[in-house]
Amino acid sequence: MNRLIAMDFVANQKNQWEEMLAALGVRSIDELLQAIPKKLHLQPPLKDDGLSEYEGMRAIEQVLSKNTFPQYENYLGAGAYEHHVPALVGAICQKSEFLTSYTPYQAEASQGMLQATFEYQTALAALTGLDVANASLYDGGSAAAEACFMALRANKGRSKIYLSPKVNPFYRGVIEQYLFSHSFTLHAGEIDSDTAAVVVQNPNFFGEIEDVAALFKKSKEQGAICILIANPLVYGLFASAGELGADIAVGDGQPFGLPLQFGGPYVGYLTCRESLVRQIPGRIVGETVDAEGKRGYVLTLQAREQHIRREKATSNICTNQALAALACLVALSWYGKHGVRDLALTNYQRAHYLHEKLIKIPGISPFSQKPFFNEFCIRFEQKVSDLLPSFHKQGIQPGFPVGEHKLVVAVTETKAKEQLDRYVEVAKHL
Amino acid sequence: MKNLFEKSQKGHRAYSLPKNDPAFEAFTPPADLLRTAAAPLPELSELDLTRHFSTLAARNRGIDTHFYPLGSCTMKFNPRVNEWAAALSQMTHCHPLAPSPFVQGNLEVIDDLLALLCDIAGMDGGTLASNGGAQGEFVGLRLISAYHASRGEKQRKEILIPDNAHGTNPASASLAGYHIHTLKTNPEGDVDMHHLKSLLSDKCAGLMLTNPNTLGLFSPSILEIAELVHKAGGLLYYDGANLNPLLQIAKPGAMGFDVMHINLHKTFSTPHGGGGPGAGPVLCKEKLKPFLPTPRVIKEGNSYHTVWHEPHSIGSIATFYGNFAICLRAYLYILLHGNYGLRRIAEGAILNANYLKLHLKDLFTEPYPQPCMHEFVLQADNYLDKGVKALDIAKRLLDYGVYAPTVYFPLIVKECLLIEPTESESKATLDEFIEMMRAIVKEIQENPEIVRTAPHTTPVKRLNEVQAARNPKLTALK
Amino acid sequence: MKFSETHEWIDVKGTTGTVGVSEFAQKELGDIVYVELPQLGKTVKKGDPIAVLESTKAAADVYTPVSGTIIEVNHQLKEAPELINQHAENSGWLFTLQLSNPEELNALQDEQAYRDGLRS
Repeated sequence: MNRLIAMDFVANQKNQWEEMLAALGVRSIDELLQAIPKKLHLQPPLKDDGLSEYEGMRAIEQVLSKNTFPQYENYLGAGAYEHHVPALVGAICQKSEFLTSYTPYQAEASQGMLQATFEYQTALAALTGLDVANASLYDGGSAAAEACFMALRANKGRSKIYLSPKVNPFYRGVIEQYLFSHSFTLHAGEIDSDTAAVVVQNPNFFGEIEDVAALFKKSKEQGAICILIANPLVYGLFASAGELGADIAVGDGQPFGLPLQFGGPYVGYLTCRESLVRQIPGRIVGETVDAEGKRGYVLTLQAREQHIRREKATSNICTNQALAALACLVALSWYGKHGVRDLALTNYQRAHYLHEKLIKIPGISPFSQKPFFNEFCIRFEQKVSDLLPSFHKQGIQPGFPVGEHKLVVAVTETKAKEQLDRYVEVAKHL
Repeated sequence: MKNLFEKSQKGHRAYSLPKNDPAFEAFTPPADLLRTAAAPLPELSELDLTRHFSTLAARNRGIDTHFYPLGSCTMKFNPRVNEWAAALSQMTHCHPLAPSPFVQGNLEVIDDLLALLCDIAGMDGGTLASNGGAQGEFVGLRLISAYHASRGEKQRKEILIPDNAHGTNPASASLAGYHIHTLKTNPEGDVDMHHLKSLLSDKCAGLMLTNPNTLGLFSPSILEIAELVHKAGGLLYYDGANLNPLLQIAKPGAMGFDVMHINLHKTFSTPHGGGGPGAGPVLCKEKLKPFLPTPRVIKEGNSYHTVWHEPHSIGSIATFYGNFAICLRAYLYILLHGNYGLRRIAEGAILNANYLKLHLKDLFTEPYPQPCMHEFVLQADNYLDKGVKALDIAKRLLDYGVYAPTVYFPLIVKECLLIEPTESESKATLDEFIEMMRAIVKEIQENPEIVRTAPHTTPVKRLNEVQAARNPKLTALK
Repeated sequence: MKFSETHEWIDVKGTTGTVGVSEFAQKELGDIVYVELPQLGKTVKKGDPIAVLESTKAAADVYTPVSGTIIEVNHQLKEAPELINQHAENSGWLFTLQLSNPEELNALQDEQAYRDGLRS
């Protein structure tokens, strides 16, 4: 008897295989492949080169054991932040009915995911202080790019976009990619009547809180649409995008409910004013009633999307980050109205505690005097590349190097006083 | 059912926070920067939250709970061992900007997975960064564009796309700055070769093709198509959404495709998650490799490092590495199967689809009688005289305890049902589905009203989509 | 009233013409949920796609049957797009234009020919 070695999830075994081939009147699968030119046919593999579940799990553990990063205390931010992920997030997202469902085209059998998405949209609109949200985009970078296109459609005839030089460079890369094939130009100069949109990040890449309200006021005088990129956690404490005068708010919901995961899945959020709703990219869930007047939810305004509008769609996006958006919703509601504020405040306080102690050390100075949230930039007299090994030896990943003398440091609620004091000690002895 | 915000009770909460040290209290944010009122997020205890989401789950159907023959989506089993892998803290704790020496495991996974996918597809290199099929298409088209530009052929501004193509194809082509010409499908379900020849010129950058196509049919003319396109100086793009039946049977690279994307959440079992996240890795032939996006993982000896900037690269597509945790799931899936198991997947998918087609075709109009690959189309137009459409049949299937097949796609088939069982399903499940369809057809003859007004047993009855679009209510906020 | 091959109608009064879509078109589209109308003052050529009718499942381009300048649009359609379903060939009109090339009307079908054509 052959021992079953490999894991495969094909249900039918020899008996069913034979029954089905007989029903089809063929002797082998090959007879069903006549349409494929002979020279393309591959020889079927003879040896079972798969793995048992046990061996597969050990192989994964083996390769991942080569990661040493988890042993370090992490102060890297720059668009992805280490936060506590509530246990409830995994418990809900791993539920079969959420995990293994797909796009809710048959709404009556997908009310769970549709309602959850509707609630996610509500939560993001509430957090950003704007009117509507979509069901998610891939990540913060693509959300920013899509917002630019929204503005260009709404402000037809204008050809320029003001992109602040202090926007996250990784986001800038994605924006540039999306806009590359079109004749619109990105600039950081004068905001004029040919500027369709003004894009700014707050806090910016260096952690600085900027005077967004003033910039947006000026922008509106020129008729430009105001796009604000932000870490959504900042809205727990600071003025909402709506209060600052933003027309569109974008960013990444990753800080709520999503572990670092070496880059993804994260979740791009996009919220905006009611007047821009028909320019929104991607899926959006709306509330309605059923044939008996009972409340229910459906994908709506679908005529904007690729499966209907094709080359004229507001975006090419189909599959989005639905389950990641659910994770974000669970985390946001676990924190709730007051928790989000308390979380933001303790992030703020821990970052400022570290910052204050660091800038007192000779050889370290602040990047700017502007206020900041939970991320800041500091300057070193020495080259950062020379200093990193000392931090690493002490088990610390101190931040993201920018240029030769700067570090961008993120501090979240995951860092206790003892850890922050240790960072300071290490910095003192560089 | 109430929504989360309606269940909110003032003062209730689920959260806890690490203890604040008195030393932190000294730092208070400037009052003029603060939000004027707290964001109106809900307040619930953890139990109430858990109950709410659990109740929502019970109002949702997934592969785990229901047969899900959604054509074009490859709703195969989502292995739990993949979820185990994706939850390992050795990966989840890794920041994407971690210096390369500290994440050698992740970088090895990326390099290894790309090698495995290239081998499966007959390609030479690629990227895992594209976050979905649509984004993959966009990257592929950008590679085509960069290639032609590098050869001084900027006049190639057109892309050819078949009329049965998925909507993302033209949408992505538009995003990549191309003008689209729609290519006709012939009555046999293959590319109209006359029409193709008439559309090819030195203005054509390439042709996007799904093979097997969205009708579930493999194009017997594929080698001729590739030759024609290449002779005209164009490149061939492969939409990998229908790769499942080709695993270890035939390689897109050998068919003449120059660049392609794969949907990991279709062919490689990563969970659909209610609409995502997925991943759409892009693979290409040698001549397009210089233009591949960053970041790139380079192997030197036994170690790996990341390159974030490269002069010939088109630049980045994702903020960081893309949906890495999705890629890790697909990686384990491939390791478990080996080439042997991958072949079994393809054969199982083809066998299941043809078996279902054999038993369902007499209930409907069969537009293409030849053997299908992993999915097939049937037309439900033979019941229009009873006032019953494909949509009604789909809704009635919900009452029978399955998820309906795809309806009204592809657009070129009238009252289209696109059915894809996948290799995960047993013959018994298929036989049950056949019986359900027979029962519904009987209802159409004897009691069409019950089909026309379906569904009857789902948490809500048929929903008013017109109202949702005319008067959009998109949040629970007043 | 004259009709185009793509199911638009035009009702000419002097040098201006009011345009809408036919009963047949409205029925094919199903419930209209949103209408994208052209901007006032826009100059259009015969055959240009200048408006879009959206249902829940489709978006259909409306092509102007003649060349001219848009002088009026039916603002009622913003709040009540269903007017097109209810009264496609009168109060569900889309826009009015100043004709720049009245000879183009000769290429359009007259009402009887259009309705006969649908029946065949």
